[in-house]
Amino acid sequence: MECWGRMLRAFLSGPGRRGATWGSAYSSWQPHRPVPGLLNATELVSHWTAIFEKEGIPEAQESSEYIVAHVLGAKTFQSLRPVLWTQPLTPWQLQCIQELSSCRLQRMPVQYILGEWDFQGLSLKMAPPVFIPRPETEELVEWVLEEVAPRPHAVGAQGGPLILEVGCGSGAISLSLLNQLPQSRVIAVDKGEASICLTRENAQRLRLQDRIWIVPLDVTSEGSWAHLLSWGPMDLVVSNPPYVFHQDMEQLAPEILSYEDPAALDGGEKGMDIITHILALAPRLLKDSGSIFLEVDPRHPELVGGWLQSRPDLSLHLVAVRKDFCGRPRFLHIRRSGPQRGCPVHAWPGPQPARVPG
Amino acid sequence: MSASGFLRFPAPLTRRCMVPWGLWLRERPALLSPGTAVTPAQMAGRKDRPALLSLDESELEEQFVKGHGPGGQATNKTSNCVVLKHIPSGLVVKCHQTRSVDQNRKLARKILQEKVDVFYNGENSLVYKDKREAEKKKQERKKRAKETLEKKKRLKELWESSKNVQGERSADSD
Repeated sequence: MECWGRMLRAFLSGPGRRGATWGSAYSSWQPHRPVPGLLNATELVSHWTAIFEKEGIPEAQESSEYIVAHVLGAKTFQSLRPVLWTQPLTPWQLQCIQELSSCRLQRMPVQYILGEWDFQGLSLKMAPPVFIPRPETEELVEWVLEEVAPRPHAVGAQGGPLILEVGCGSGAISLSLLNQLPQSRVIAVDKGEASICLTRENAQRLRLQDRIWIVPLDVTSEGSWAHLLSWGPMDLVVSNPPYVFHQDMEQLAPEILSYEDPAALDGGEKGMDIITHILALAPRLLKDSGSIFLEVDPRHPELVGGWLQSRPDLSLHLVAVRKDFCGRPRFLHIRRSGPQRGCPVHAWPGPQPARVPG
Repeated sequence: MSASGFLRFPAPLTRRCMVPWGLWLRERPALLSPGTAVTPAQMAGRKDRPALLSLDESELEEQFVKGHGPGGQATNKTSNCVVLKHIPSGLVVKCHQTRSVDQNRKLARKILQEKVDVFYNGENSLVYKDKREAEKKKQERKKRAKETLEKKKRLKELWESSKNVQGERSADSD
C-alpha cells in the first residue's frame, strides 16, 4: 500500500527530510499545502475539511478532526484540551497531518490511517486488510454480557464461560468479552493469517493473552473444526461472520472495497454461507442449552429462522432478535436445546491442551 | 455543544430513537420526568446529597450521524457524534468525546441531565449547589490564609518592637 510506505517514511525520517524518496509523495499533495504562517488545530481542521469536501471524500470534517486530534495526542477533537485548539502547531505536527490526510485522500479508512480504533472501551490496533470493527458490534457484546452475567458458570479449575468466536478479525469481540468477564476463556478462530496476527498482538497489548487461544481455522472447510472439540463443550459461540450479500459487494464504498479483506464481508449469494456453517457445527461444540450470538444483515432473521426449521437435526431454535441503535434487526440469539445426538463429546479422545498463551 | 450543531443535520436524519431497554439494563436510570416533584428521600443517590433528576427517555430525541445506507458491515462510518435533545425544555447536547457511539450516548445523557437540572432548578440545581460549595470552600481557604498571614505579620511587628525596646534599654543603661 503506497500510503503505508509514505507514512512509514514520515515517521522514520522526522522533520526536514527532503529528497528523491519524497518526490512522488510531495507532487501529489503539494497543491494542498496550507498557507505558510502559524496555524492552529481548528484552522487546520477547516483547511483539510474543505479539501476533503472538494475531493468528494465522505465524512470530510470527521476525518479531518480525527487526524488532527490524533497528531495532537487525543482520541477525538472534542476531547482535546481547549487550549490546544488555538495553539500554533509545530512543523512536525503539520507534516504528520499532511501525511495522514494524503492517505485519506486515497480513501483509506480513518481507522487504518490512525492505526488504532476503540471498541467497548478498549483501544485496538488496526491494520489493513483486517476487518475494522463496526459500532453496531459493540451492541452484540452488550447483549452477550447481559445474558451471561446473571448466570453463574461452572467455576472450577477451568473458570468460565468458555466462548468460541468465529472470525475474530482484530480480536474486538473476544477481547472485550475477556475484559468484562474476568473468569471467561475464549477460543478465537479466523481463516485469515493477518487476523490471527493482529488478534494476537492486541491480546498481548491488553494483557489478555493468558485466557485466549487464537487458532487459524476455516470453519467452512470440512472437518477442520473437529480438533476444537478437545477443548471441551463450549458455553457460547459468538460471531460477526461475513454477511454481506454477494450482489451487494460491488456497491460498497471504496474505503471498504479497496482496503478491507473481502473474505471478511462476502457471505455468498444470500449472505448466509458462513452463518449456516457456524449453525451446523455449533451443536457439536456447545453444551446443552448453550447459546449462539450472531450479528447479521437485517434480512437474515427471517432467512435464518426458516433455515433452522429445515434443519431439525441441529436442535437449534431462534430465541430472540434484537435491533441495533438504528432500529434494524441486527442480532440473533439462538439456543441449543436438549442433549447432543450422535457422538457425545466425552467419547472423543484427546487430552486437554496445555495452556499455551496466544 | 451548541444548538447550532443540531441544526446542521438535515431533516431526514432526525429519528426518534427509543433506547432498547436491554442496552441500559445494567445501569438503568429511574424514570422521572422533570415535572414530577420528588423529595430527596425518594431519589437514590449518594449519602450526602440527592442524585440528579433522571431523564425520561420518551422526552428525548436522539440523532446519530450514521446517515443513510445499510449499516453494519456494509458501512464504515466514523462519525460517532451523538446529538441529544430534551424536547420539553428544548435543550440540546452534542457529544463527540469518545470514538464510541455507545459511550457518547451515555455521556450525552449525563451532560443533558445536568443541563436540565439547571434549567428547571436554576439556583437550586445540583450543579449550582456544587459550584457554590466549591466557591465557599475556596473563600474559606483564602480567609484562613489571610488570617495566618496577618498573624505572622503581627508577631513580626511584636518581635521588632521588643527588639527596639531592648535596644533603648541598653542605650539607657550606658
